[in-house]
Amino acid sequence: MNYPIWDVSFGAGLLIALVAGLHVFVSHFAVGGGLFLVLTERKAIKTNDHALLNWLKSHTKFFVLLTVVYGAVSGVGIWFTIGLISPTATSNLIHIFVWGWAIEWVFFFLEITAALLYLSGWDKLSPKLHQWYGWIYFWAAFASLVVINGIITFMLTPGSWLDVHKFWIGFFNPTYFPSLFFRTAICLALAGIYALITASVQKDKDLKARIVRWGALWTIPSLLALIPFGYWYIREIPAALFLSARGPMPTATHYAFLAWSLLAVTFILMLLALFTPRRMHLAFALVIGLVALGAMDSFEFVREDVRKPFVIENYLYDNSLYANTMPGDGGFTVDNLNTIGVLNSAAWIDQRTITPDNQVVVGHEIFRVECQACHTANSYRGIHQLLEQRQWDPATTRAMLSSLALMHNGVMPPFAGTDPERDALAAYLNTLQTITPTAATDGKLLYQNNCSMCHQDHPNAQFFSGIVTDPTAAADSFKDLTSIFPLMPDIKLNPAQRTALVQYLNTQRPAAQHAQLSPAVEGGK
Amino acid sequence: MIDPSMVPTIDPNPLPAPYWLFKTLLLVTFTLHIIAMNFMLGGAFLAVIARFTSKGPLSSENKAFRNRIFLDLAKKVPVFLAATITIGIAPLLFVQAIYGQYFYTSTILIAWPWFLLLVILCIAYYGFYYVVYNGQRRPGPASVVSFISLVLVLIVGFIQSTNVTLMQTPTHWAAKYFASPTGWSNNLSDPTLIPRYLHFVTSAIAVGGILLVLLALARWKSDREYAIYLFQYGGKAFMYATMAQFIIGTWFLISIPRNFRMIFMGDSPLASALLIAGILGTIAAIFLMSNALRKQNIRVAAYGVSGLLAVVTITMILMRDILRDAYLEPYFHPHQFAVKTQWAVLPVFLLLFIAGVGLWLLMLQRYSLFSINKPPLADATPTADAAAETEVELVH
Repeated sequence: MNYPIWDVSFGAGLLIALVAGLHVFVSHFAVGGGLFLVLTERKAIKTNDHALLNWLKSHTKFFVLLTVVYGAVSGVGIWFTIGLISPTATSNLIHIFVWGWAIEWVFFFLEITAALLYLSGWDKLSPKLHQWYGWIYFWAAFASLVVINGIITFMLTPGSWLDVHKFWIGFFNPTYFPSLFFRTAICLALAGIYALITASVQKDKDLKARIVRWGALWTIPSLLALIPFGYWYIREIPAALFLSARGPMPTATHYAFLAWSLLAVTFILMLLALFTPRRMHLAFALVIGLVALGAMDSFEFVREDVRKPFVIENYLYDNSLYANTMPGDGGFTVDNLNTIGVLNSAAWIDQRTITPDNQVVVGHEIFRVECQACHTANSYRGIHQLLEQRQWDPATTRAMLSSLALMHNGVMPPFAGTDPERDALAAYLNTLQTITPTAATDGKLLYQNNCSMCHQDHPNAQFFSGIVTDPTAAADSFKDLTSIFPLMPDIKLNPAQRTALVQYLNTQRPAAQHAQLSPAVEGGK
Repeated sequence: MIDPSMVPTIDPNPLPAPYWLFKTLLLVTFTLHIIAMNFMLGGAFLAVIARFTSKGPLSSENKAFRNRIFLDLAKKVPVFLAATITIGIAPLLFVQAIYGQYFYTSTILIAWPWFLLLVILCIAYYGFYYVVYNGQRRPGPASVVSFISLVLVLIVGFIQSTNVTLMQTPTHWAAKYFASPTGWSNNLSDPTLIPRYLHFVTSAIAVGGILLVLLALARWKSDREYAIYLFQYGGKAFMYATMAQFIIGTWFLISIPRNFRMIFMGDSPLASALLIAGILGTIAAIFLMSNALRKQNIRVAAYGVSGLLAVVTITMILMRDILRDAYLEPYFHPHQFAVKTQWAVLPVFLLLFIAGVGLWLLMLQRYSLFSINKPPLADATPTADAAAETEVELVH
């Protein structure tokens, strides 16, 4: 609202995911691979292994061409992309951490220089001096991780920075150290995995086997170390946030499952590689790389997903509204928008009043400024698909907009704006739907479409404690949902739907409640 | 004039150091970035020109020298590109620290070109490396690839110029955004864009000429014949580009709105002095170069002209800054920044920065002193710093 919104038809979030997802896979290699280079050089010289040394020279070229060119440019690419998609968050992070970024820049500069000199220094420098450049490279690269890690973890767990606004408090936040250890292990694991790629094209099978075994020695223990570090990391994330990855939020839950399973697959593939090192084929090396990429990006997705609806937890929502009113917020808070409205606050909208004629146009503008940071009309996280799946009629959509903040463990920011603005947004969203909802009397479907967003795929015991056991009374209570819980959306189901829903719910009651229910049901009959 | 409320408000966090410090760091690091960029772009440009003019009715010696120029420059380009990008991060950071609202808004309006800038840059970068490793073995493809990479970095520059002109003209924003928020806007309607862009590109070509003169200096003792050729080639490139700059610079000056132009023509003594100093410095540089070429005095050309050029560059960077602040004057008021210096971090940065520069110099020094400089091979890898290599070659 404060900034114009870049309308990326296929999804702004997807673009960030593409840029960042590939960058992290190279940037972590840039750290671990640096240590790998210098330690492998030492090892080769110590064991007088000329073949290994020669391979290492070509591996250095691969390393530098990948990290210095693609790694560096794509790193700037993340910065460019978040500036385009989340300018408010970027601006905040720049002002909070500008000296952190500046420190990282110093390390980055040393890192690039050392990498180029290490590459060109092969055969030109004494081994000792050559390794000196290698060590400078590694420590500078690691230091840049040490810095950037503080800023990334701050976004998820700003901790007491929210109260004191002090640099180091935000930097050394609750997940700083577990994340640093976790990422360092990833760096070391990737060093071994990337080595397989250049090793696989070696003709000398003995050499290939030596490299694969050496690479596995880096990767396998690091993968194992990810388990305790990951556990530590999760423990430092507030339980309420991480709950998203334990079921209530489908995306986070799926990615958490993927992250651990792909980690396991990577581990198994590395063991296979270790046992058949002479047969390492480029295709197999690439498969291991791709699986590891999947594991790593799944982890990054979980981290980003459990943070939702915030870019900076409890400070700034994904749609660039501040969580709380504070001096300098520019009026871009939920409370303020609820009072004075989007049309009176947002700078980058064309419409300033709502009429019956422009309702949909206004709704579209509100969608752009409030929803499009994550959603699209009909592609990535498309509203079209969501509505088709849920079959909401216009009144339901409108009601649901009041309860966004409760859905999927609070993954979305609340709708911010006045009632007419909410109506306008609902009117626009309804234009994205092509199917006319039928009056479904399938209780399970009704539950999936109308309740599961907040109450999960399967209602839990706590859910039933709020519902009376008598079916008729329960169906009656569904007439006015807000009477059950004031924050519930005011969805209007017809009598047949209410009965069907109650019948379905009764089949889902936990056994303990069934026992109590039976007489009542029978009594009802 | 648009409703100033279209200029986004700054975020709630105060500036973590005084405004002047950010401004100084911005200008200093931007100057270094531009110098590296000039060497990169000018080097790539002259490399391509040398290669594509090495055919036709030239003496075989002439052709051979031009091909050598191509290979020599091509080897340096990725290193200067690395320097351009690496140094460029700092001004990118500091510009966002103080001009964030303008910067983010304008980049969003040209979001796709701005995003693609890095894709284009990455392709160009790999192209330049391809030429380093294949320049001699596969001359045909290497020529084509170097040409493509040059075109790509020229496009990158154009996107940068587009953004800079757009970020300082908030009055142009609303119409572009409401016409289409898809990030495909351009700023071609701004009459300053083309001359401004050409002004930058032409100065890069001139600096590319100086790069050749510096290479000539490094080879003056070991390979006089080629060095003289390099000197002539680079010196002339410098002179032609700089003379063209008088036309383009004038065009640029005329293109900017009158009230801003007058700042440099009397309204502001400082700005006017900078313009005069810049013009006089440029004229002096042309005369100095022409004299040095006639007398074959490589030292005057290498040190004298480079020194003058450094001064001219600084005047240009300062004028560029004055012009930006003039454009933004209705909206941008530095004294309104809330400032809360982060004393717990700033000294850490300054210390690490000084230590980093020290270590960086030590790395270059040790490399230049202790590396065995083998005769250039077909796939010789680039050194990290041309100056370091120059020193090595002077020692040998």
